[in-house]
Amino acid sequence: MTDHLGELAALYALGMLDPAEQRAADGHLAHCDACRRLLAQAESDVTAMAAAQAPVDPPLRFLVPKPAPAGRRNSAWLAAAAAVLIAVLPAGYLLQVNLSMHQDMAADAQAIARVATSPHRTATFVGADARVMYAPDGSWYCIVIRGASAPLHVLWPHDGTTTMLGTAVPHGDIALLYLPKSHRMEQLTLMQGDREVGQAQLVF
Amino acid sequence: MSALPVERPRSMRPAPGDEALAAAFAAKERWAFDEAYARFGRLLYSTAYHVLGNAEDAQDCVHDALTRVWRSPESYTRSRGAIRSFLTVCVRNEAITRLRAKTRRRKLEERVAAEPQEYDELGADDVIEHDRLRAALRTLPPEQRRPLELAYFEYKTHVEIARELSEPLGTIKSRIALGLRKLGAVLGASE
Repeated sequence: MTDHLGELAALYALGMLDPAEQRAADGHLAHCDACRRLLAQAESDVTAMAAAQAPVDPPLRFLVPKPAPAGRRNSAWLAAAAAVLIAVLPAGYLLQVNLSMHQDMAADAQAIARVATSPHRTATFVGADARVMYAPDGSWYCIVIRGASAPLHVLWPHDGTTTMLGTAVPHGDIALLYLPKSHRMEQLTLMQGDREVGQAQLVF
Repeated sequence: MSALPVERPRSMRPAPGDEALAAAFAAKERWAFDEAYARFGRLLYSTAYHVLGNAEDAQDCVHDALTRVWRSPESYTRSRGAIRSFLTVCVRNEAITRLRAKTRRRKLEERVAAEPQEYDELGADDVIEHDRLRAALRTLPPEQRRPLELAYFEYKTHVEIARELSEPLGTIKSRIALGLRKLGAVLGASE
């Protein structure tokens, strides 16, 4: 389209253009400031119409911010954690009959679902290629360790003692441990055997 | 051990202004997606719901539209205007596309079954009769109001409207454009 949008801007904003008209309009908009302004005005008018309709409240869970599909923060870590599931689940479901293994896999699946759909924070382990993603209220923690070649124990040093939380077992070179909890843990330690390999400080 | 940067809780951060949010959204800053979802989610959901008349479809529609906008590199730039309007129109257009596809499927199924079924996709009509939009529409002259109603509430194309009202296509386009701008002014749309 070489002509300006004119009245088509209103039709564009109202969703009335057929696909061919829309493509032509988009082509023109790519290099015409005046038509972009015209369309912005029409979109503002349509939005005023939408906002003036009786509001319909969404379900509560809808209002929890969803993660950015192509976001930068955490995406590699989420992908690494998801890779564990992709690698493990099909074979696991087909071959494993051991109940505890099923529970582990269910916990992993729960971990990804929680991390992917809930607001969370991230802390890096100093000394290891590992991170912990955790809920701001301390209700869950998901530890992802990259380049892991052996099981790693996760411990919580607090009040002059240390609590063993669990063991992250590598699948390929990724180890994942999901911990549903009911309290805030401000420090986590990674141990390989009896050797400390990493420490993370968590901020609440 | 060196002091770690402290992330202030979300509630303690000053909310970014529209300009800052729009710039960050255009630059694909991750927080901008979350902020847009939190700030406009209610309006976007409500907009999709009014078209689709179903909570699950409305949620899917909003998420898919936002995901597509986010993944498409050139979909939003600062020169495209306010992010709120841009996203609302994206969601509404996505909802209309889904509704049309659904209607096509239904018509096809009805032809195959040869017995039309009751269809209740637009259960929101009884609600919108009483809203601010209907009141504002009544301020327009009928020749502008009717084409705009057919476009906004019944999702008809300009060709269908021209046929239904027995008016030339150019006349319908002009009346819709004029009616929309007047209505926007009545409703206090930003200019």
